[in-house]
Amino acid sequence: MGISRDSRHKRSHTGAKRAQYRKKRKFELGRQAANTKLGAKRIHEVRVRGGNKKFRAMRLEAGTYSWGSEAISRSTRIVAVVYNASNNELVRTNTLVKGAIVQIDATPFRQWYENRYAKVLGKKRRQAGSEEKTDANKPRSRHLAAKVAARKGVVEPALDSQFGSGRLYAIITSRPGQSGRCDGYILEGKELDFYLRKIRNKK
Amino acid sequence: MFEQQNERSYQKQEAVFLNAKGVTKKNNRWYKDVGLGFKTPANAIEGTYIDRKCPFTSNVSIRGRILTGTVHSTKMTNTIIVRREYLHYIPKYQRYEKRHKNVAAHLSPAFVGVEAGDLVTIGQCRPLSKTVRFNVLKHQKTAKKTAKQFQKF
Repeated sequence: MGISRDSRHKRSHTGAKRAQYRKKRKFELGRQAANTKLGAKRIHEVRVRGGNKKFRAMRLEAGTYSWGSEAISRSTRIVAVVYNASNNELVRTNTLVKGAIVQIDATPFRQWYENRYAKVLGKKRRQAGSEEKTDANKPRSRHLAAKVAARKGVVEPALDSQFGSGRLYAIITSRPGQSGRCDGYILEGKELDFYLRKIRNKK
Repeated sequence: MFEQQNERSYQKQEAVFLNAKGVTKKNNRWYKDVGLGFKTPANAIEGTYIDRKCPFTSNVSIRGRILTGTVHSTKMTNTIIVRREYLHYIPKYQRYEKRHKNVAAHLSPAFVGVEAGDLVTIGQCRPLSKTVRFNVLKHQKTAKKTAKQFQKF
């Protein structure tokens, strides 16, 4: 490939230029970056050192995201890349990398929440649709209804409004070019405030 | 607490989950004992800094060599140069000559007021950057203007 990860081509700690005394070795090799984009799933398998495999995701459209405070994970569609601390170019080209802030589809989480707590999320939008058949209102047995009423479901306002728009902000914590997956967790609390401010300042 | 968020990404300790429901004891901070008898500084436990390379508040482990030396320079961000002096024997003349080596070591924000000339103990850890493989574990200030005292060079 031509990409090597050795340090023999770099100057030493004292600044001395190191002479080249051997060729590049295979164990020092580097490969092209994946630059995973949004789109229909396309994953290339790579044979790596030791005979093991790496899954280089070239295009992905969904991943498993966790809602930390509720301790659940659901597989959802990724809508768009919204912020990247390292490079704005990666935001413009919708490149999926670890640490990128993305918007994900909120429906699986909303359905789970309404099923569990029998409360509606993202109130404003819902009012337009009035009392339809949401999971929040489905018929439950007396025993189950009692259990559900005893559960406390509190969602912070910043998250609640995101449910209203159907899009949640999440951060990617897997490495799509290594594992072939784009998983992460939903932003909450101070972290969410931090990134919202960054996104707003950009615009 | 907000002076720590100076970078473009959110700085936090990886070991700590910030958003648990039903609240927290204030100052949800993770710290560890580095072992080998080194005391973790009070500043590391009570402080609010976030440092991915601090031996006390992140997952860099101290293993291998433990060295001591004097602080040569503190001009780098979060790292110092430690000067270690030693004597090299020349057999032909049956005499010694002074030599020294500089070691780059990461200085955690837990250590405040480290100046050139202070004694410092550093421990080997995994490579933290191109030249940094050590982390400062203990710091002892040199008293200023002592009468001529014999010090280990």
